[in-house]
Amino acid sequence: IPIKPSGQKGTCANIAAGAVVCVESEIRGDVTIGPRTVVHPKARIIAEAGPIIIGEGNLIEEQALIINSYPENILPDTEGVEPKTMTIGINNVFEVGCVSQALKIGDNNVIESKADLGKNVILTSGCIVGACCQVNTCEVIPENTVIYGSNCMRRVQTERPQPQTLQLDFLMKILPNYHHMKKTVKGTSTPVRN
Amino acid sequence: MASLLQPDRVLYLVHGEKKIRSPLSTLYFCRYCSELRSLECVSHEVDSHYCPSCLENMPSAEAKLKKNRCANCFDCPCCMHTLSTRATNIPAPLPDDPSKTAMKKAYYLACGFCRWTSRDVGMADKSVASGGWQEPDNPHTQRINKLIEYYQQLAQREKLERDRKKLARRRPYMPLAFSQHTIHVVEKYGLGTRLQRQRPGAPITSLAGLSLKEGEDQKEINIEPAQALDEVEPLPEDCYTRPINLPEVTSLRQRLLQPDFQPAGASQLHPKHKHLLIKRSLRCRKCEHNLSKPEFNPTSIKFKIQLVAVSYIPEVRIMSIPNLRFQKECQVLLTLTNPVENITHVTLVGCEEGDPEDINSTAKVMVPTKELVLAGKDAAAEYDELAEPQDFQDDPDVVAFRKSNKIGFFIKVVPQREEDGDVTVSFKIRHDFRNLAAPIRPSEEGDAPAEAIWLTHHVELSLGPIIA
Repeated sequence: IPIKPSGQKGTCANIAAGAVVCVESEIRGDVTIGPRTVVHPKARIIAEAGPIIIGEGNLIEEQALIINSYPENILPDTEGVEPKTMTIGINNVFEVGCVSQALKIGDNNVIESKADLGKNVILTSGCIVGACCQVNTCEVIPENTVIYGSNCMRRVQTERPQPQTLQLDFLMKILPNYHHMKKTVKGTSTPVRN
Repeated sequence: MASLLQPDRVLYLVHGEKKIRSPLSTLYFCRYCSELRSLECVSHEVDSHYCPSCLENMPSAEAKLKKNRCANCFDCPCCMHTLSTRATNIPAPLPDDPSKTAMKKAYYLACGFCRWTSRDVGMADKSVASGGWQEPDNPHTQRINKLIEYYQQLAQREKLERDRKKLARRRPYMPLAFSQHTIHVVEKYGLGTRLQRQRPGAPITSLAGLSLKEGEDQKEINIEPAQALDEVEPLPEDCYTRPINLPEVTSLRQRLLQPDFQPAGASQLHPKHKHLLIKRSLRCRKCEHNLSKPEFNPTSIKFKIQLVAVSYIPEVRIMSIPNLRFQKECQVLLTLTNPVENITHVTLVGCEEGDPEDINSTAKVMVPTKELVLAGKDAAAEYDELAEPQDFQDDPDVVAFRKSNKIGFFIKVVPQREEDGDVTVSFKIRHDFRNLAAPIRPSEEGDAPAEAIWLTHHVELSLGPIIA
């Protein structure tokens, strides 16, 4: 898929200091990554039809795909298409192999392995999308919803999932031992350790 | 072409009370009767009870007391997955000094699949990891128990009267045992076991037991009859206008898994103890020998006795099917595998006109007329480089290939019906079987080979649709 920059500069990723982004991950387009976010190798963040802004404290695991793609019936060459920004909040977890095209994701959400979020879904806070669940309805998922099961049953839980601080700290120490990191905004190749 | 290896393409016919056609992998072989048996012509007996998550064995009496539920494990009331115990640290005041707080461990139940926790229904965290969780009591337990006792007493009385009538009609010199009919009659109200246990004992004591029970002062259990009420609780006023909170409504399955309460709201769904599973053993109904007996240990999947059909009967499998054409002869390649260690001779015979077992075939089949010889299954064959390949002199028109204990052979199929649906052919397979279970006669000297008997099975193959 050819990259169509949305007209502005900044085709390289803006990785804040404190984020740990492995070199083997694929980041294309205008992507901003907040501090304390960990991006595993083989994760893909593709900003095709607009910029992606990722908050802090997120965990994006292997083979996860976060893509801001063009709507299906619009060709990339069409003029007059406004770039839509994809916003992802803080403390989210994108587990292995998930696909997210949702334009707005709040805080403390967990998108489990091989889940599939469509373009028109909006996740608020504390939502858990279960493994292999496909959610491509056009709706705002209420807070603290759990979507699980092969039929995508739903229920509301009383407490939101805890932020994965322990896991994030562990990964931020261990990943630089085994992988090279992408350069952060401050120009250093190693992230600032807490 | 993995679809050709699907088990239901090749069916073997079982002669039992019902004629059952099923794949060889689901059948058993009674080597005392020398016949195939299916699950419907054997008797199933419960061997042992065990919990599927903690794999703890439980004796049958204890299982019955606990209503076949495990004591330690719980099921999520929301998604029926197994619940796991999680711990958190909460600050709690020390018992000695209320002003200081120390970190104490608090345990709660959580489901890994739907993220239900015991805190969702208001169950407090427990301080012990296991054993602290109680199921809520059924308010009707007392009434139900009283009713059960009353009806058990009634059933016992009825059985005694029935038996007394039967015994009174017998002649005095006939053995006084309970009739077979009384024992095997369906247990009424869960009684029966007490009377069954008297069967192996001496017949006279059983009669003595009858009179003793009569004379005993049995406490009469009286129950109040259920009262019908005229007035019913009225519906709440906002029943029609209140908007439904959909996540709070329980599904039918969630509701019916708790028959005591059947809560309509999700905040009343309490976890239930996990149901136990059983290990069963199978017994041939004609000769009463065990066909399948699993190991007692729940962690072991092996069998003490495993008389499955695939280890005694040669198996037919479809290897490749050409395009089937209406009323044109097609050649289908089948394989035949020999499961035993000695050489097996197999003859295939087509079904005759008017064969009562041949009801499903929609095509004519020409099977090879010569006898097929299958080599024995030799587990060490692949490691033995010096072994001479056995020379069987196969007819290349009939046998396509030969590989250790397997041969591929051709049959000719002429589909007779043009309709939609699968082309089905059937034939009979006749092979020799050496019964190693038969007792060796002591008068024979040396190693007398076990005598071979010839078994015939009816096989049906489903070859797929006709391609025009």
